[in-house]
Amino acid sequence: MKEKLRKFWPAVLLCVIGAAAVLIGAVYFEFISQKIYEDSTDHLEEIYGQVNRSFTAFMERNWGLLESWESLLSKEESEEGEIADFIAGEQEYWGFSEFYFLAGDGSVMTPDGLRDGVDMEEVRAALAAGEGPVMVGESLPDGKGVTVFAVPAQPGKYGNFAYEAVAVSYTNEDIANSLKVDAFSGKSKCFVIHSDGSVLLSTQTGGSVFGNYLSYLTAASNLEEEELAGIRKDWESGTTGLFQCKIGDVNYCILYQPVGYQGYMLLSVVPQSVVSAGFLSVQKTTMLVLVVIFLLVGILVLMPILLRNRKQYRRSRMELQYRESMFDVLSNNVDDIFIMLDIEEQRVDYISPNVERLLGIPQQEVKENIRVMEKCAVNYNVVIPKAELEEIPLNGSRYWECEYMHQNTGERRWYRMTMYHMNIQDLTKYIVVLSDRTQDQQMTTQLQEALAAAKSANEAKSNFLSNMSHDIRTPMNAIVGFSMLLEKDAEHPDKVREYTRKITASSHHLLSLINDVLDMSKIESGKTSLNVERFSLPVLLEELSIIITPQAKAKFQTFKIQVHGVLPEQVVGDKLRLNQILLNLLSNAVKYTQEGGDILFTVSALIEDSQQYVKLRFEVRDNGIGMSEEFQKHVFMPFSREVSSVTNKVQGTGLGMAITKNLVDLMGGIIQVESKPGEGSTFTVELSFVLPEQEKVEALIGQKIARMLIADDEEDVCMAVKAMMHDTGVDVFYVTNGEDAVRAAVSAERRGEGFQVILLDWKMPGLNGVETARRIREEIGEHVPILVLTSHDWSEIEDEARAAGISAFMSKPFFVSTFWQTIKPLFADLTAQQAKTQQTGDGSGALTENGAGEMRVMEGRHFLVAEDNELNAEILTEMLDLEGASCDLAVNGAEAVEMFTASAPGDYDMILMDVQMPVMNGYEATRRIRSSGHPLAARIPIVAMTANTFAEDVRNALDAGMDGHLAKPIDMEAVRKMIGDLLNRTASENTQEEGAQS
Amino acid sequence: MRKRCLGILLAFVALLSLTACGTGETAGRVTLTITGKKSDLEKSYMTSIFEQYEEATGNRLEIIAYEDEEFEECAAEDFANGKGPDVLMHFHNADLSRFDVARYFYYLNGESWVEELTEGARSYCQDREGNLLGLPFWENSVSGCYYNKTILDSLGLKPASTQAEFDMLCQALTEAGYTPICWPGDGCSWMVQFGLDPVFADDSRLLEELNENEIGYAEIPQVTDMVQWLADAAGSGWFGEDYLKVGWSDISPALGSGEAVMTFIWDTWFYTDFEPGQTYGREDFAVMPIFMNTAEEGTYEGGNLNMMMVNKDSENLEAALDFLEFCAKPEHYNEAFAGISTVNCFKNQTTNIQSQMVLDARSSIQERERVSVVASKVVGYNAEDMVRALEELFRGKTDVAGCVRLMDQYRLEETDRYGTDGF
Repeated sequence: MKEKLRKFWPAVLLCVIGAAAVLIGAVYFEFISQKIYEDSTDHLEEIYGQVNRSFTAFMERNWGLLESWESLLSKEESEEGEIADFIAGEQEYWGFSEFYFLAGDGSVMTPDGLRDGVDMEEVRAALAAGEGPVMVGESLPDGKGVTVFAVPAQPGKYGNFAYEAVAVSYTNEDIANSLKVDAFSGKSKCFVIHSDGSVLLSTQTGGSVFGNYLSYLTAASNLEEEELAGIRKDWESGTTGLFQCKIGDVNYCILYQPVGYQGYMLLSVVPQSVVSAGFLSVQKTTMLVLVVIFLLVGILVLMPILLRNRKQYRRSRMELQYRESMFDVLSNNVDDIFIMLDIEEQRVDYISPNVERLLGIPQQEVKENIRVMEKCAVNYNVVIPKAELEEIPLNGSRYWECEYMHQNTGERRWYRMTMYHMNIQDLTKYIVVLSDRTQDQQMTTQLQEALAAAKSANEAKSNFLSNMSHDIRTPMNAIVGFSMLLEKDAEHPDKVREYTRKITASSHHLLSLINDVLDMSKIESGKTSLNVERFSLPVLLEELSIIITPQAKAKFQTFKIQVHGVLPEQVVGDKLRLNQILLNLLSNAVKYTQEGGDILFTVSALIEDSQQYVKLRFEVRDNGIGMSEEFQKHVFMPFSREVSSVTNKVQGTGLGMAITKNLVDLMGGIIQVESKPGEGSTFTVELSFVLPEQEKVEALIGQKIARMLIADDEEDVCMAVKAMMHDTGVDVFYVTNGEDAVRAAVSAERRGEGFQVILLDWKMPGLNGVETARRIREEIGEHVPILVLTSHDWSEIEDEARAAGISAFMSKPFFVSTFWQTIKPLFADLTAQQAKTQQTGDGSGALTENGAGEMRVMEGRHFLVAEDNELNAEILTEMLDLEGASCDLAVNGAEAVEMFTASAPGDYDMILMDVQMPVMNGYEATRRIRSSGHPLAARIPIVAMTANTFAEDVRNALDAGMDGHLAKPIDMEAVRKMIGDLLNRTASENTQEEGAQS
Repeated sequence: MRKRCLGILLAFVALLSLTACGTGETAGRVTLTITGKKSDLEKSYMTSIFEQYEEATGNRLEIIAYEDEEFEECAAEDFANGKGPDVLMHFHNADLSRFDVARYFYYLNGESWVEELTEGARSYCQDREGNLLGLPFWENSVSGCYYNKTILDSLGLKPASTQAEFDMLCQALTEAGYTPICWPGDGCSWMVQFGLDPVFADDSRLLEELNENEIGYAEIPQVTDMVQWLADAAGSGWFGEDYLKVGWSDISPALGSGEAVMTFIWDTWFYTDFEPGQTYGREDFAVMPIFMNTAEEGTYEGGNLNMMMVNKDSENLEAALDFLEFCAKPEHYNEAFAGISTVNCFKNQTTNIQSQMVLDARSSIQERERVSVVASKVVGYNAEDMVRALEELFRGKTDVAGCVRLMDQYRLEETDRYGTDGF
């Protein structure tokens, strides 16, 4: 309390001084006003008392003059002329306007004769009343007012005019002028009025309009009836008096004094402001001085107080500013937003400036309306209802987790909005702190995700074990079971064959399962690396065609490979992995497409600006069973297999697509799937490859061929061939059926512009390729190579085709390099090459040989086999034996080296080398063989036969100098193909070498 | 499209008219054409005199009545095309400048009936050279300051006899809470000429110099005095607060209710427009001179009269002059104006009703009445232009001198409009 009093005492003191000053001023003002009024009225009375006395003297003088003249006038001896002269003299001296002789009947006569029309009736009446001298107001015929002073006279005659009274008159204007007072700035009015208020005289310049001033006061002033009655009474009694009244907007002082004749009064009307003007001036000056003194005293008293307060205020303000600045700096450098709210006033008292940095809302906008923060809120209202706020206990707090979006950057961040209910200086305030909890939130989310992932992984592991347990046990069960049955039914060849077939199938399935699992394991462990090398895209496609075409054919499916645009023939990439990816997709397409379905494999080059890279799109489209939308989400996850009546009949590990996806990812590409149940699926893979320098075969082709004809019912194929041949300079003509092809070939031949090569599609409507070739041969002979371009296995019709005149076969899609490889021998020696081709096959034809063809390749061959495992060695020996081949066994690498170096050229057609062997492993042995001095050291085919099946193993084998890699367990199909390829290659090299030598 | 309201053919001469084709003399009888405003020609005293004439002479009158708003233009066009009527009825106002008066009209100075006219009426019908242009045959009136004598009596106030007294009266009335003067600021077109009449009636030299474009209003101090007085009066609240919104129709309620005490109007207005039955009736009013600071003892304005002018080129010139003589005979005009409230136009006019207000102020009127000279004799004078200039003053858009300059400017524009010689 004392503290408060001390704090406010200057203000209290100021109020006391002010109140005292006002009180003193009011008392003094009242005193002065009263004094001034009294002095003013005294002044007024004094002035108009003087006027009244002058007027009374004026009246009495006139009456006195008239009485004094009577003796002269009444003299009998006075002549008219003498009288007239006398009066004229007096008139000039005294200034009256006229002298009258008055008859008893009211008629008048002036010294210069009768005056008709002058009405002196009121004068006559007054005189008749016997009141002695009279003063009467009269009007002249011209309307001008005059005041007549008359006295009774002894009856006499002026000339013949008998008179009973004499009178002088003054114009009212003259009298008024004599009554005028110079005081009061000429703003005073003076009236001579009768006691009833009727106006006799007025001092107003230019006349008067007041007929009865009492009536005017009654109607126009603010006087009450009682006051008016008093005035009327005073006037009737001839009492002097003074009153104030307001007429219109003007306050008047009105003084009335009897003039001493009958009931006439002198009425002085002066504006109050004029009466007190001088005194008011003094009063104003006095008041002004007093006010100034008070002000000065006040200032002197208050100045030190004010200075001290100001100093304190400035200090407080500086402290406040310092604190605010410090707080602003702090809040600007932290990620917490501070807000102080006055809920009652709906006002933001404070908002930290970092709100703009953190939320993108200007500080001022929030200050003006807290609701602007709503637009930052994600998904919900950030402004907490008042009722909910009021639930927070005093000095308590609540918090909410909110997600806000930055208004400028769009960045979302999590904040904890903590609301504190405070009482600050008896005012209820809410302090809001928005703390950035984004990292916490992210950590929480990550932990949740990690937990979920761990759970999922655990689940996956359990699923994996469960799946593996099931998937491994199933074929193993068959193998074990049928092995037992084999022993039991060894005497029954049919059963033995049946059991061994089933054991083989189960073994293959088990093998593929193990391969997939191992692949998956390797990929997931991050140990998979890419084996980047230059490879031929046409060869890759051809290999795929060779593998997939039989599978498709087995299910009566159509399988087409299409190329869109101009593809590079050589690319650098991991051929093995790409092959694996595409085989997976194509195998699945075959697997999950019903019999008779269609599978289309499309390769296209996407437009790339770079000349160093090319992006290829591989698309596998089928019209098979398709996938549900739900399954598409998991199709690339391990062990994902859609459960349906169809898929359940298809064998699979559920790892193929996961491996494919991982491989595509590893190669930096993308894989996508579009599918509809019952309509089929489309898998698209996009991968980038480095472009190596391409082989320039175009010029060579251009040297051999000038014109070429292609016939294919698919115009796109014709256009693609034409586009690809563009750089060769060959004029490519195309037709879309066999008949046109015949006509075109014959016509060109007859014009002497025959084609140097004719390319025919096998399966065309109307004339097929073979028939077309036959017709062309019939017409133009044998000198033009005719090739069949097909995506089908031509082995069935090869004999017929060659009989019809087909020179060679080419697999679709068309590639320039393949084309060159095909036609080059044909042009070297057409006839001889034809014979040779029939014997050894051209590149493409040889690749397709199988069945009996392989038997021929293997038969009679002698192999060097390096195998430390006795059992495996025995199996291999038996298998080779079954193929009609023989072998020598080495139990380790060193022995194999020794045996090879000791052999004569031709003793061994090929070396089959295990990798992991005691003494010397296969890699080292190969290197030693290659570096040995044996004549065939460099050329002898060496193939790895190993259980190490990863790409690294393949690469290591190749790096060591081997020519191929065969995975254990031995798949005779693969062995046949590999050996066939290598032997054909060796034969070709030998042929070329021989040719070169010759 | 001019509307030609043909003829008020009087029934009793219909038979005679059947034998007459167009204008002119037929079988000793004449058909005279008279053109005028439709509303003017329909006045009862006009139809009465027409009837009397046709009945007495057997001649026929073909009345060509134009709609009021088209009258000036159509009549001027008729004269310009040589198709002027025998007799034209026209208020002798500024619009007469549309006509080539000297060329078209017969000067009537030598007619026998001229002496029968009152001084004011004759003076009104004369041109600037003193030629009598027409026979005034219209309601005459006295314009003055008509005041509520009942209110003045109750206030103990007297009517003013000088400009100073008038100012005192206004001040006293203001202080007593009344609006002294009802000044219809929204179209007080007739009032300005009241103030200007004494200026030009008392000093014909000024009128001549003004009409010869030797001086303008700005060179006439009285005009400035009048405008200054109007400004002071308005500033002193003598016109009330909303006088700029007060129009013609507001005068009667203002006076009848006692809200306003005085206005500048004519006596017949109390019989034609003042609505009886209000707080104050016609009998509460009296007339005193108009004070607009241009005549110390005030002024009254004589009537603005419609006059019958004779076409100098009329084929029936003699008959037309006879028609005017017929109208100017006491027995004829007294019959026509019987019971009509009007001040005398003719000295022997006896059957008309003269207002008590005028009769009471007879001697004052006789001393102070001026002929209405401004509207008819000031070249280029247009009452509406004066109102426009004053409105600029009252609205504070210009000062007194500026207002006078505007009056001059508008007047010159008016003369330009009609191509007045000498301007």
